[in-house]
Amino acid sequence: MIRTLLLLFFTWQFSTPEALQHFQAGAEAEKSGHFSAAIVEFQKVTELEPTAATGFVRLGQAYLENSDFGGAIPPLNQALKLDPDLAAAHQLLGYALLAQGYAAQAVPHLEKSDDIAALGIAQLEAGQLADAAAHLQTALAKRPNDPDLLYYFGRVSGLLSKQSMDMLIAAYPDSARTHQAMAENYYILRQMPQAEKEFQEAIRLRPDLPKIHLELGLVYAGASQWPKAEEAFRAETKLQPGNAEAAYRLGNALLQQGKAREARAELERSNTLLPEMPETLYSLGKADALDGDAASAEKAWRKLIELENGSSLAAQAHFALAGLYRKQGKPEQAAREMEEYNKLQATANPPEGSQN
Amino acid sequence: MPKTAIILLLLPALAAPVLEVRPQPGLDFVLRNSPTPQKYLIETMPGGVALLDYNNDGLLDIFLVNGGRVTNPMQTPENFDRNNPLYWNRLYRQNKDGSFTDVTKEAGLANAGDGNYGMGVAVGDYDNDGYPDIYVTNYGKNTLYHNNGDGTFTDVTEKAGVAAGGWSVSAGFVDYDNDGKLDLFVTRYMEWDTKRSKTCGGEWHTYCPPEEFPATTSILYHNRGDGTFEDVSQRSGIAASKGRGLGVAFADYDDDGFTDIFVANDGMRQFLFHNNGNGTFTELGMKAGAALSEDGRRLSGMGVVFQDYDNDGRPDIIVTELPREIYGVYHNEGKGAFSYQSLQTGLGVLSSGSSGWGVGLEDFDNDGWKDLFVAQGHVLDNVEAIDPSLHYRELPLLAMNHQGRFERTDPGMTSPVAGRGAAFGDLNNDGWQDVVMTVLGDHPQVFLNRGGKQHWLVVKLRGTRSNRDGLGARVRVNGQTRFATTSGSYLSASDKRLHFGLGAAASAKIEIDWPSGARQTLNDVRADQFLEVVEPEKP
Repeated sequence: MIRTLLLLFFTWQFSTPEALQHFQAGAEAEKSGHFSAAIVEFQKVTELEPTAATGFVRLGQAYLENSDFGGAIPPLNQALKLDPDLAAAHQLLGYALLAQGYAAQAVPHLEKSDDIAALGIAQLEAGQLADAAAHLQTALAKRPNDPDLLYYFGRVSGLLSKQSMDMLIAAYPDSARTHQAMAENYYILRQMPQAEKEFQEAIRLRPDLPKIHLELGLVYAGASQWPKAEEAFRAETKLQPGNAEAAYRLGNALLQQGKAREARAELERSNTLLPEMPETLYSLGKADALDGDAASAEKAWRKLIELENGSSLAAQAHFALAGLYRKQGKPEQAAREMEEYNKLQATANPPEGSQN
Repeated sequence: MPKTAIILLLLPALAAPVLEVRPQPGLDFVLRNSPTPQKYLIETMPGGVALLDYNNDGLLDIFLVNGGRVTNPMQTPENFDRNNPLYWNRLYRQNKDGSFTDVTKEAGLANAGDGNYGMGVAVGDYDNDGYPDIYVTNYGKNTLYHNNGDGTFTDVTEKAGVAAGGWSVSAGFVDYDNDGKLDLFVTRYMEWDTKRSKTCGGEWHTYCPPEEFPATTSILYHNRGDGTFEDVSQRSGIAASKGRGLGVAFADYDDDGFTDIFVANDGMRQFLFHNNGNGTFTELGMKAGAALSEDGRRLSGMGVVFQDYDNDGRPDIIVTELPREIYGVYHNEGKGAFSYQSLQTGLGVLSSGSSGWGVGLEDFDNDGWKDLFVAQGHVLDNVEAIDPSLHYRELPLLAMNHQGRFERTDPGMTSPVAGRGAAFGDLNNDGWQDVVMTVLGDHPQVFLNRGGKQHWLVVKLRGTRSNRDGLGARVRVNGQTRFATTSGSYLSASDKRLHFGLGAAASAKIEIDWPSGARQTLNDVRADQFLEVVEPEKP
């Protein structure tokens, strides 16, 4: 039924049966993947019917399918000359131009199509970052697992961020935010002395700004400078008593210095603010154990394992439990935990030194 | 007295470091490691130091292991130019005035073998003749020097059958079967040679981590008692575990009367070889909880000490490592189990940014608690370019022990160095422990103890049924325990005498468990003396 209707439609489009024959032959060739043959057939259609936009559209499409993007552009332009509102021609021409690197020229054509993903990509390439971000986000909402879309959305977000930071640095070079932004860049580049200096300058200018103390603390923690890290994280927790991460980081810095009781308090606070975070539970167990509260340590590590059995953190929790039971003189339970630890390690990162 | 005067009086006492680096007249050794752009791993690993009284004159002498000349690139066959005096190992005899005389040549220790790049040293009286013998480990072939008792040594390697081969690192004498004769344990690093060498770190162009090369086995030589040794690595089970051994230390951790062996492995789990008492060993590091970090991660074990830091009578293990790993403290819980106590002891925060090598637990202030000394300095000579928070040259760590918790104190030197080996002993026989630390490309640093008013006791064991050095004995003095050994640390051998700080106590009770099984108790022993204790001939 549909085939009959299509045939009637094309019969109406083309004035000569010869053109219709070539059109059908082109469609068949295209269907079976013989794009070069399809191009020849559709070319004949356009010669026989030079005023029918459909022939030019199909010719352009065949070129595209044959990966000849440059070849697709003239027939598609011709199609639009004949019928400026032909959405399919706009879409295909947009693709062809984008593929050829003419992103700015592709944008108006893709705007007339319904492919917002391609439009977003063209806008990204044309430097229209805000529009690109909006279109790509909408497209991503429909296809959340599309790796290309994830890539382009990540790229546009990064560029937008950079654009904003560049503007900040250029317009307000001595502001706390500028020093913070520069520090963050240094941190990413692992240039820690520079990062430390910039964070400190940002804090000097605006000691009340949240996150900067936390970020400075991370610089110190990365260099195992735990007393300094403690100081920075403590400043952050004062600014943001409701920030679970700051409490967690402070707890960890205290833990590294063997300050068991204080570490427990902060880690428990973090666990209350943001319950059931595996990292917090692991550190909390360590602090409990360090403080001599084996029962609480066991509880924290068991909870962690319950939350994410199979992860590397769960492996660490099994290992820690083994140590706890060993210390309690429970070798069988310790052996069971070591077995679990070994099972998880074997799949991830087996310790060397196996028997010959 | 006015307050300010009291403060002024107290200040020097508070500020004075326990140890103090002092140049020693005559000690002109330079550890020539010969770094090259080829980044041959051996270049960053030497060298050992031994404190021994080779001529039995009552004064500790110093033996230092040299590296060798490394060319860029190395030619085949490898030649480290060890006949060149620049690259000799050196023996320095201590004179009565505290100065040192280089006696290398007259002692017969000059020729280290051109194919050998020097690493470490072990000391023990393997033939029970009363004179300490020297075993030198190399990348190449190892050398056993028999002490002839007349100030000279003879290379007896071939006859003894202890040349090993490959890349040997730390070694130690131990009587693992309690037959009264010292056996020999040799750690080997990995299967590596200059032809297989490569650089790592991309643009940083630096030394490769150990994981880049295959692991290998340690070697256990059994002393036959006739001047020869038998390689029992396979039969004993030692060779069943391939590792990347750098450090080795001995103690009887489970109190079964047989000495166990801990091997510090680099970049992998640590080995605890439990002595089964029948000539075989079982590797129990994982089961005992002494193999990995608190989080179950691999460690870059380098140096190790196996002594009791918290005076509970059981030997604990401290392993020195790379930065970010923190030095591992494995506390002996009894019943064959260890717990990781690096944070509890305060050592975590003291070590998280440092690279540790030679290590010792010695009571430097004679307060009855063993303090910690660690030779430090990163493996990579360009580490600052990679991570500015790390350092190729570091000060050593001196941490005083306050009832089981360590606190950093002034190590007695101000210029950072690339520390490696460390040996411990009382160089000037004043009852206060001293340290000799080796330094890459530089002179060794001698840390003399400034002393104080606390009492002390030094016990020299003389085995009769046990090995003559009494190595492997457990000695308790006023609630403190030491395990008699010259081994531990990194590449080095310490004074065999056992030093105890007695605090305010003017007398001591000594209890000795000899390797033979003999038990001996001495009551009301006067403090502040060097006491030789002879093992009872009969049970």
